Amino acid sequence: MAALQEKKSCSQRMEEFQRYCWNPDTGQMLGRTLSRWVWISLYYVAFYVVMTGLFALCLYVLMQTVDPYTPDYQDQLRSPGVTLRPDVYGDKGLEIVYNVSDNRSWADLTRTLRTFYSPAAQEDSINCASGQYFFQERFLAPNHTKFSCKFLAAMLQNCSGLADPDFGFEEGKPCFIIKMNRIVKFLPSNGSAPRVDCAFLDQPHELGQPLQVAYYPPNGTFSLHYFPYYGKKAQPHYSNPLVAAKLLNVPRNAQVAIVCKVLAEHVTFDNPHDPYEGKVEFKLKIEK
Amino acid sequence: MVGGFSILLWVGAFLCWIAYGIQYSSDKSASLNNVYLGSVLVLVVILTGIFAYYQEAKSTNIMSSFNKMIPQQALVIRDSEKKTIPAEQLVVGDIVEVKGGDQIPADIRVLSSQGCRVDNSSLTGESEPQPRSSEFTHENPLETKNICFYSTTCLEGTVTGMVINTGDRTIIGHIASLASGVGNEKTPIAIEIEHFVHIVAGVAVSIGILFFIIAVSLKYRVLDSVIFLIGIIVANVPEGLLATVTVTLSLTAKRMAKKNCLVKSPEAVETLGSTSIICSDKTGTLTQNRMTVAHLWFDNQIFVADTSEDHSNQVFDQSSSTWASLSKIITLCNRAEFKPGQENVPIMKKAVIGDASETALLKFSEVILGDVMEIRKRNRKVVEIPFNSTNKFQLSIHETDDPHDKRFLMVMKGAPERILEKCSTIMINGEEHPLDKSTAKAFHTAYMELGGLGERVLGFCHLYLPADEFPETYSFDIDAMNFPTSNLCFVGLLSMIDPPRSTVPDAVTKCRSAGIKVIMVTGDHPITAKAIAKSVGIISANSETVEDIAHRLNIPVEQVHQRDAKAAVVTGMELKDMSSEQLDEILANYQEIVFARTSPQQKLIIVEGCQRQDAVVAVTGDGVNDSPALKKADIGIAMGIAGSDAAKNAADMVLLDDNFASIVTGVEEGRLIFDNLKKTIAYTLTKNIAELCPFLIYIIAGLPLPIGTITILFIDLGTDIIPSIALAYEKAESDIMNRKPRHKKKDRLVNEQLAVYSYLHIGLMQALGAFLLYFTVYAQEGFLPHTLINLRVEWESDNVNDLEDHYGQEWTRYQREYLEWTGYTAFFVGILVQQIADLIIRKTRRNSIFQQGLFRNKVIWVGIASQIVIGLILSYGLGSITALNFTMLRAQYWFVAVPHAILIWVYDEVRKLFIRLYPGSWWDKNMYY
Repeated sequence: MAALQEKKSCSQRMEEFQRYCWNPDTGQMLGRTLSRWVWISLYYVAFYVVMTGLFALCLYVLMQTVDPYTPDYQDQLRSPGVTLRPDVYGDKGLEIVYNVSDNRSWADLTRTLRTFYSPAAQEDSINCASGQYFFQERFLAPNHTKFSCKFLAAMLQNCSGLADPDFGFEEGKPCFIIKMNRIVKFLPSNGSAPRVDCAFLDQPHELGQPLQVAYYPPNGTFSLHYFPYYGKKAQPHYSNPLVAAKLLNVPRNAQVAIVCKVLAEHVTFDNPHDPYEGKVEFKLKIEK
Repeated sequence: MVGGFSILLWVGAFLCWIAYGIQYSSDKSASLNNVYLGSVLVLVVILTGIFAYYQEAKSTNIMSSFNKMIPQQALVIRDSEKKTIPAEQLVVGDIVEVKGGDQIPADIRVLSSQGCRVDNSSLTGESEPQPRSSEFTHENPLETKNICFYSTTCLEGTVTGMVINTGDRTIIGHIASLASGVGNEKTPIAIEIEHFVHIVAGVAVSIGILFFIIAVSLKYRVLDSVIFLIGIIVANVPEGLLATVTVTLSLTAKRMAKKNCLVKSPEAVETLGSTSIICSDKTGTLTQNRMTVAHLWFDNQIFVADTSEDHSNQVFDQSSSTWASLSKIITLCNRAEFKPGQENVPIMKKAVIGDASETALLKFSEVILGDVMEIRKRNRKVVEIPFNSTNKFQLSIHETDDPHDKRFLMVMKGAPERILEKCSTIMINGEEHPLDKSTAKAFHTAYMELGGLGERVLGFCHLYLPADEFPETYSFDIDAMNFPTSNLCFVGLLSMIDPPRSTVPDAVTKCRSAGIKVIMVTGDHPITAKAIAKSVGIISANSETVEDIAHRLNIPVEQVHQRDAKAAVVTGMELKDMSSEQLDEILANYQEIVFARTSPQQKLIIVEGCQRQDAVVAVTGDGVNDSPALKKADIGIAMGIAGSDAAKNAADMVLLDDNFASIVTGVEEGRLIFDNLKKTIAYTLTKNIAELCPFLIYIIAGLPLPIGTITILFIDLGTDIIPSIALAYEKAESDIMNRKPRHKKKDRLVNEQLAVYSYLHIGLMQALGAFLLYFTVYAQEGFLPHTLINLRVEWESDNVNDLEDHYGQEWTRYQREYLEWTGYTAFFVGILVQQIADLIIRKTRRNSIFQQGLFRNKVIWVGIASQIVIGLILSYGLGSITALNFTMLRAQYWFVAVPHAILIWVYDEVRKLFIRLYPGSWWDKNMYY
């Protein structure tokens, strides 16, 4: 087959391009005259206005169909995630290192805890003590909301930062806060309160003894009256129940891996893909 | 594997690896995603490369099957012994012997010969057998009688000669190397694809760089910006398209092979479609390549015989007793015979021993009279004088089949004027009349008329020898001629021609309405060439040549106004003296051109002349010496039956039935595939916007990534492949043979309208539909659209494991990631659903889908089914394989984008409606691609 394309010199190409940009013979810019450009722009403006309008309409309809209180689906939220405070992340997950004798090394950690505690306004919340699920069918609280149970820092006793503003960091027996992620209408168990259980991930051989933990509130339970959660709109002042774990026998100058699991019938912690589902693992090194 | 998109993909792959390298150097535990993506991109490049190569190789294989020749043997005298050796072992100086029927094994100089004739047609185009002897007659080796050429055939006699050239050094070898010297350059479709690749690459690179700059100025990390760049490239490059185009072209090539056009490279299919000039051979291509009785003249009247392929419909008046006599002469004065063992073969297909004219007469009489052999048996031949060039007649004497008639019948045929000389009477209506001036004039008028039709005319006469002078026992002596050969009775004339194939006139008309100029190039006599050209319509009925006008007005040729003539017959002699400007002028000014008496070398000149007119030229040829012209042509077409191997090698296409009409079929297919490729490309380009927008929105608005690069690859190389091939099966929208061939520089495959309409109209609508689905999925899981804006950093952070959604629920990183994959799947499904609508609207460019028929192209539905099935498998079958980033999607989400799909369909119908209603309007110019 024979040649079909002639080679053009660079100057020819440039000239052609210039002519394309502005053609004095026909008054065309970029292949169209000014009026043509106006026409086509008008068309596109109209077209895009209509399309945007349609899209906006679709989104509006979507918003109308979405339930304001409860999400339609909770496919990914079968079991809650568990997080830890203070949360300092290293290359692989949570890694907390501090030096007992250097209070600058743990100032940030305790500050995190203090800010975490500074509670939102809980004046609309009520005091609960039932230890049973707090089901609310109707919106009885002010402003068409549902009641939330108060959770006060004081419930964490020794780890509340009230008695000990250093949260035990200075004495080498630090407090860690375990929080279970909120899931709307999630019931963690069938009657017994979910409980936090912390342990060494790999039992350090040289220690030969298990991790000793003091849990606050006692037994490390999330009281059932904080469940179920009815969502931000129904419970604007909901405060998360927390469990503080004061680690009593962490060896000095050695990195230990600790896992805190939430034990409840409906909380799973064996998802191989999600390291934060139902449990939280962290590495801790206390230097001296 | 290096050109076009491949480069972009290579760049993407390397960027992936570089990105991983940077990540790895700062963080040893960097995820391997980028490495996988890079590898997948390279795999895509390599697979498409291998695929294209495989397709190419497959079509090359078809061709190479042609080249398989039986190893040639040569009888050589070495060491005073005759030996048979393979021809390639011959060396210069060998003495070889060749006998009738053999191929000449090398260029040889004749030492001695007995009645040797060779067929040089493949070399010089002369169809007459050439005598060969040891006599040196000409300086030019091609002209001299004492050289036989390699690959020509010795028809009869024997020849002994000395080898003077072997292999590539032979004349044929020279021509073959000349043919391979003519550059093998880009096909029109290759240029179109390159143009298209430039457009897409331009869009990809400019958007990529633009957003790279935007990303950097939005304070994204450079590494992230690089990853965005990769995403943009992947989204923009239609990875599967080149493979699709290859498949589409090969499918058409296959379809054409069924219609007797064997295409060497798939790309040539389209070249044929853009052909604007066909330079066609006459013999065998336009004609049937066999002499056939066309006209008869007896009883002072010309009768027309049926020259169609099967001769079945002979309508001339057979009641006259003159016909009875004439038919007897035709039957008896004929040495041709059918080869035995062909009882079940139709008469016209039977093989015959005898020359072309006698064969024609034999078949003619067999069709009309029935068993010729039986008639000959009943009229036993007593003696005969075969035809020779000195006496120019053939004569035989027979007993009659009437047992009561003891006379001998002498029958004679030959050159009409020689036959008439020997006659004194003429038979009219079965009675003998004296041959006077008026009857002689009638004879001459008829003879001239038939000759003017370019036909070969034979005269027939007979004489019943008086029984008293020539008793039954009379011994005839052909040397002494002891019988009368004058004062015979003239019976009639019969003219023969190699008639046009019955399908050709139709095909030529089709070419004409398709804006294709058909030029006849033949070695034949101008009168014959013109006659055939007229009968097939290459010169139309009402157009005249300069000579015709001169003849009609009775003025000298020079005085005729050149512009009055539409047709021209140019002979090789005239062509020889022409400058290329003069040739250009002829090619440009005349619509109907016949080149007669041209040498095959002049064909090359004609082809070059046509190409100077900016035409896409198709050339047919069969001889070895046609191969340079075949190579030079934009598409060379070799004859499958008559063609030499060299011609087939040089050609881009082989006509298996040597039939011109097949070329027209090919042109139709070529045009159709061009249209359908447009549709395929429009279909494929559309979704690129829907794939690109997510990245742009992701960068600008910080939404969680709506679709991943791997998912995009699954669309481009998974769900979209079969549908885009299915468009190749689409029927033509209107009669594509009624429009001009496309202008190779103006009518582009991918023009502005196509790109703009695909990108900015349908593509955008698709993007919106897919985004709607994406937002729906996120909203129903808890992330309403407004919560997603600028969520990207937190969303993608591994360190945030309690990200709050609209309802106050908290999400871990993995839960979010899983939702993100669900988003990918949703976006994928959104594009998929709308691509179905896109596929349906792409069936036509102008007509309504309902005019075209929704179900006429079944393959489209196979495509749609494949899309859905692949989508279902990816979502539900492979949903558990996390590496692929697909998840199970709730069934109802498949229908969210359906209204958008319907909207696309409606919008396109409206577009087509306005195009049909207001042709030539602003709308038509901007919206028709």
